[in-house]
Amino acid sequence: MTLQIELNGVNKFYGAFHALKDINLAIEEGTFVALVGPSGCGKSTLLRSLAGLEKISTGQMKIAGALMNDVPPRKRDVAMVFQSYALYPHMTVEENLTYSLRIRGVKKAEARKAAEEVAATTGLSHLMKRYPRELSGGQRQRVAMSRAIIRHPKAFLFDEPLSNLDAALRVHMRKEIRALHDRLKATSVYVTHDQIEAMTMADHVVVMRDGIIEQQGRPLDLYDRPANKFVAGFIGSPAMNFISATVAEDGTHIVLDFGKTQAKLALGSRLASGTSVTAGIRPEHIKVVAEGQGAFDVPVGIVESTGSATYITSATTPELTIVETGRGGARSGEIIGLAIDPAQLHLFDTATGKRIESENGRVGIEPPIHLHLAGHAS
Amino acid sequence: MSEQVRNRLMLAVALVLAAIYLFPLYWMYITALKTGSAMFATPPKFWPSEPQWSIYADVWQSRNMGRYLWNSLVIAFGAVALISVLGVGCAYVLARYRNVWVDIGLFLILMLQVLPASLMITPIFVGFSQFGLLETPRFAVILAIAAKSMPFFVVLVRATFMSVPMELEEAALVDGNSRIGAFFNIVLPLARNGILVSAILIFMQAFGEFVYSKSMIQAVELQPASVGLNSFMGPNTNEWNNIMAYATIYVTPILAAFILLQRRIVSGLTSGALK
Repeated sequence: MTLQIELNGVNKFYGAFHALKDINLAIEEGTFVALVGPSGCGKSTLLRSLAGLEKISTGQMKIAGALMNDVPPRKRDVAMVFQSYALYPHMTVEENLTYSLRIRGVKKAEARKAAEEVAATTGLSHLMKRYPRELSGGQRQRVAMSRAIIRHPKAFLFDEPLSNLDAALRVHMRKEIRALHDRLKATSVYVTHDQIEAMTMADHVVVMRDGIIEQQGRPLDLYDRPANKFVAGFIGSPAMNFISATVAEDGTHIVLDFGKTQAKLALGSRLASGTSVTAGIRPEHIKVVAEGQGAFDVPVGIVESTGSATYITSATTPELTIVETGRGGARSGEIIGLAIDPAQLHLFDTATGKRIESENGRVGIEPPIHLHLAGHAS
Repeated sequence: MSEQVRNRLMLAVALVLAAIYLFPLYWMYITALKTGSAMFATPPKFWPSEPQWSIYADVWQSRNMGRYLWNSLVIAFGAVALISVLGVGCAYVLARYRNVWVDIGLFLILMLQVLPASLMITPIFVGFSQFGLLETPRFAVILAIAAKSMPFFVVLVRATFMSVPMELEEAALVDGNSRIGAFFNIVLPLARNGILVSAILIFMQAFGEFVYSKSMIQAVELQPASVGLNSFMGPNTNEWNNIMAYATIYVTPILAAFILLQRRIVSGLTSGALK
């Protein structure tokens, strides 16, 4: 596998604003990469820099081995799908598709043939003479994709292409884009603020915040071993529960701080006593058990059911979210026990937000200590 | 008061106001058709009893109106062409780049718009005569009108360009076009309506322009219709019907064009204002 996109120490300044901070990224040919992060994190700036629409301030940017820092967009041979699709309103679907080819001097008949081939695979054949304003959102999306595909570019750049579609269509297009990628085997960079899109579509996820890469790796690695509290909270839905905690004097327990009451959990390995840590546990990794049977008991606050899953929010501070598959029996006001698998507990340094890792990777409880937090509800 | 009654009352008020506003125009049209005695009759007649339709042909012949209107057209088209070529580029730059200098530029442009033609004519006249531009007086007037109307055009067309999404241009750039290519292929076709409407407004202004033409064009055979109308009216004029016929011939084509295009003009003026 060769590297298709390479970024070395890329920085971007807008005046005094530091939009991209020392970005290093190596993308192998044929990989589907998702850039994900909250708005303003620099993911779109990074994508636009790859397209050549923004000029990077320092560092090196290579596409297919060639240095691209000062190359204008038209000579980079990348295709981009915009959030608003950016279809040319005064051109028919066919003209939109063939525009890039016609600029390159491809003959009209040849360009039309290429457009028909692409349209056949994306299901646009019957719409070739329509104007963008006569198409539905999903069809426009397809035209935007086809316009990129027709060029056989070195890389596809997607800028939140699904954010204008309704939820059902978004799920459908997600699969379609992924299937398309598998068929074309082209390198793709996909910007989204939706971590589910990133997790489900990408081979490689890059989580960004405030212009820096917080963590990158395979989707499930990010889920299983988030490098810091930000990534832990960003990846996964519903979001991970965070409880501030302190390492007890013996160095083998942590004390979870639930405001008025506290819960004590045993650690798998020793930590310096008195250290401020944040414990993180995903809602799907907490099991509801009978009162007194789990690590600690909590009063139930809100219960929401979607039919396939039940979301329980505890009446504690901070609130804990618990996801149970199926229809749990918990009711508001009840006391329930919570069982936590020690292997699923994450610990983060409160000051730096960095993940705390012990040698065997197990930081959590064993055996569970029973605690009752019922007094909290009042 | 019920809503229906109130609406009708408002409509009546609007109609009365419109009638007052349009009365001079009406008076122009009927005076042109009146005979000499009917013109000065008291009380005045609001409808000519014996309309003199032949007056238009007579006035056209006697005042040599073909030549005047031709000059007006030359000046108007010249000004529109000059303004369009220079103003479109200017408006595009002002629409796409935002910084302090652009703001200063826009401010200066709007300042220019405030200065009245009658104030500007003296320095323009002196300057033009020194450059020898008064040898070609119609061209001199075209230049002066272009300078005067450019700000108006630039401000209107800038709004049009701002309503063309930047992403379309970027898509064209990524698709393989150059900045200039993207401008001509994508931006210009999409801004066409706004530019056309602005150009039509400029044309109408230039077609009726008087101050610059009167001051700079001495030769009768080069004067536009506005100056021709003015020279028709002496201190002791009593051929009001002929003057009104002249005015009718002069103004009716512009009015007709405006009425035909008014929907597009109004939408063109407000497009970009809302986005």
